[in-house]
Amino acid sequence: MSMSTILTRTITRLIFLPTLVTAVAVLVKGYAGAGDGFSAGVIAGTGVVIQFLAFGPRELVARYPSLRRAPLLAWSGLLLGLVTAFAPVIWGDPIMTLYPRPGEDVPHLGLLAFHTAVLFDAAVFLLVFGFIVSVLGTIGNRYGSEGADS
Amino acid sequence: MILALALVISVLFGCGAFLLLKRDLIRMAGGIILISNAANLFIVSAGLSRGREPIYPLPAGERISDPVVQALVLTAIVIGFGTVAVLLGMIYRTYTARLAKAVDEGDETGRTPMSMPPEDRVAD
Amino acid sequence: MLLLLPLAITWFGAVALAPFDGRRRAVGVVAVGVMVAAFVALVRLGITVWTSGPVEMVAGDWPAGIGIRLRADGLGIAFALISLGVLLAALAYEVLGGVHERSLPSLVLFMSTGLTGVFLTADIFNFYVFFEIAMTASFVLATYGKQVGHLRAALTFMVVNLLGSVVFLAGVASLYHVTGTLDMDGVAERVNGAPTASVLLIAVLIFVAFGLKLGLFPFHSWVPLVYRDTWPAVAAMLSAALANIGSYGLLRFGAGLMPRELSLTASGLIVIGSLGILYGAIQAVSPRTAGEVIAWSSIGQVGYILVALGIGGPVGLTAAVLYSIINSLNKLVLFLAVGLRGWLVGTAFALAAFSVAGVPPSAGFFGKVAIFRAGADADRVPLLVLVVVGGALSLIYLFRIYQRDYWARNHAAPPSPLGARVLVLVLACGIVFIGLWPEPLLALSANAAAALTGGGS
Repeated sequence: MSMSTILTRTITRLIFLPTLVTAVAVLVKGYAGAGDGFSAGVIAGTGVVIQFLAFGPRELVARYPSLRRAPLLAWSGLLLGLVTAFAPVIWGDPIMTLYPRPGEDVPHLGLLAFHTAVLFDAAVFLLVFGFIVSVLGTIGNRYGSEGADS
Repeated sequence: MILALALVISVLFGCGAFLLLKRDLIRMAGGIILISNAANLFIVSAGLSRGREPIYPLPAGERISDPVVQALVLTAIVIGFGTVAVLLGMIYRTYTARLAKAVDEGDETGRTPMSMPPEDRVAD
Repeated sequence: MLLLLPLAITWFGAVALAPFDGRRRAVGVVAVGVMVAAFVALVRLGITVWTSGPVEMVAGDWPAGIGIRLRADGLGIAFALISLGVLLAALAYEVLGGVHERSLPSLVLFMSTGLTGVFLTADIFNFYVFFEIAMTASFVLATYGKQVGHLRAALTFMVVNLLGSVVFLAGVASLYHVTGTLDMDGVAERVNGAPTASVLLIAVLIFVAFGLKLGLFPFHSWVPLVYRDTWPAVAAMLSAALANIGSYGLLRFGAGLMPRELSLTASGLIVIGSLGILYGAIQAVSPRTAGEVIAWSSIGQVGYILVALGIGGPVGLTAAVLYSIINSLNKLVLFLAVGLRGWLVGTAFALAAFSVAGVPPSAGFFGKVAIFRAGADADRVPLLVLVVVGGALSLIYLFRIYQRDYWARNHAAPPSPLGARVLVLVLACGIVFIGLWPEPLLALSANAAAALTGGGS
């Protein structure tokens, strides 16, 4: 199905990894600047969509077979988010309490902060990214293959 | 500033409403997207104030812009994203079901399956 | 902790069941088990609320007014119990009859999560978020069955609801701008200091939003289309559970947050409600399919709730809560019975029909009595006439269905599964039981109405 030129294919192939890195960067810097899990997920998802448009579903899945696992990724993102929100209830704190509490020290590794808020954002990232790729897999497959039947 | 925002919101809403009443389902989805974006802008206009960004450590003695509105808009955008995704999925399902029905009934009139026949229009 | 238990049970249950195929019996049974557990947790929470007052928690350990406050009071618990109960019954009905799609149990659990969250929150934007969770689940549920007719009706349902969401969002944002807070208590305090015209406009926006989303007259045109084409269990869920959000929202936002505006617009509400009752009843009497008749009947019944809300005061609000609960039960049994065949089903349908018309000894009789009393207290004689006329009309149209579908039975159609029929009959007997012993329900409604005006537990 792919009607893309050699120029499109080369650039698209080159741009995939920087897109994913940008998405992770937006996720990580969300603790102290503008950025969060949702926008990171959308950026990463858009990266996969561009690959899909240039290469078509068959070639994309052949190149990156782990994209088939996207529904599992979305599901685990949702579960991680729920656990992060409800876990403090088990030891008596209200729902969605984040640790370390405000005012305490936050251990850093460069810009990455070890804070449950980052964990929650990562969960949202997984959910959104997994959702976008799953939708591509469901709908896109029909359009990708020749002679789409229902 | 409020006037500019109000004008943009009304233009967005108007275009969205115009598209919403079209027969083609994709145009209808586009209308929904425009309308939900108009609502998001409306939320932004509910908390307009000039100031520095609301991130600790706060600069002393300066005005800080309202962070609640930004959280509200983000949530509204995410909810709108999910709802539009469900809407598009439903449109796609209508398309495949109608395609199957057209194949069964031998519909050769050349009308694209995405548009609804007059008796099936949403505004009924 | 107790406050979050029903929410956590349904939410984790929904996520846990999502990857599995819902058509398998085991998955359906597990889903019903999860809902029973959530219902039991809710009853336990309700007992705590009724004995020792509202239970509160502020999310994130922030001070109240900054963090999102979750609160269980009499009104929220009453509505949560009836909604979760209806969803539980409808899910059990569907599992007993055989599930048609793999996502049904998980979707019903997501909808329960949304509904529980709506009734247990005290933050206006959090209300919107949980409302959208419940509505998104209901959009997908409305497509249950895969025929093209269903899909068109589901699309209509979705688009009208999205418009309602937009209007609701505009109302909530305006309310924030005018009062500076999102917490319901804070809004109730500060709203009196805001300019009257703005708050009146916001109240109208919120009423229009709820009207669009729930099919109140005069925004009702999509309701018969959607209910005509869906499966009975889904129609029961939509009508009985989702419509409760509307009644709860009007009670909470109208009588709880903006009581001054409610009293200003009271006559308008009563007029709209009365028109809805009459219009729904007249349309239901015309020849239609059974699903459409019950749909028009729903439009009419919600009119009674609007009238009670318009009358206001403790008597009117109690009547509104009581009528919402009884209406949910009635609609549940009516929709479920319409989908079944075999003996015993006609009895169940007849009992529910008596309840809708308000004939003793069914629960509906006490609903009508409550509205009658509210109308008499407020010295509005036309309302009393309306209640009687509405009841008579509902008898007519519901027994037309009974006559057509049950009396003149054709024995050619095979009877439905016994489990589903027994379930529906048990529910119908529950309606009669409440009619014979209404005190607990009356006390529950009075408590709920008192919670709105700040008294009670």
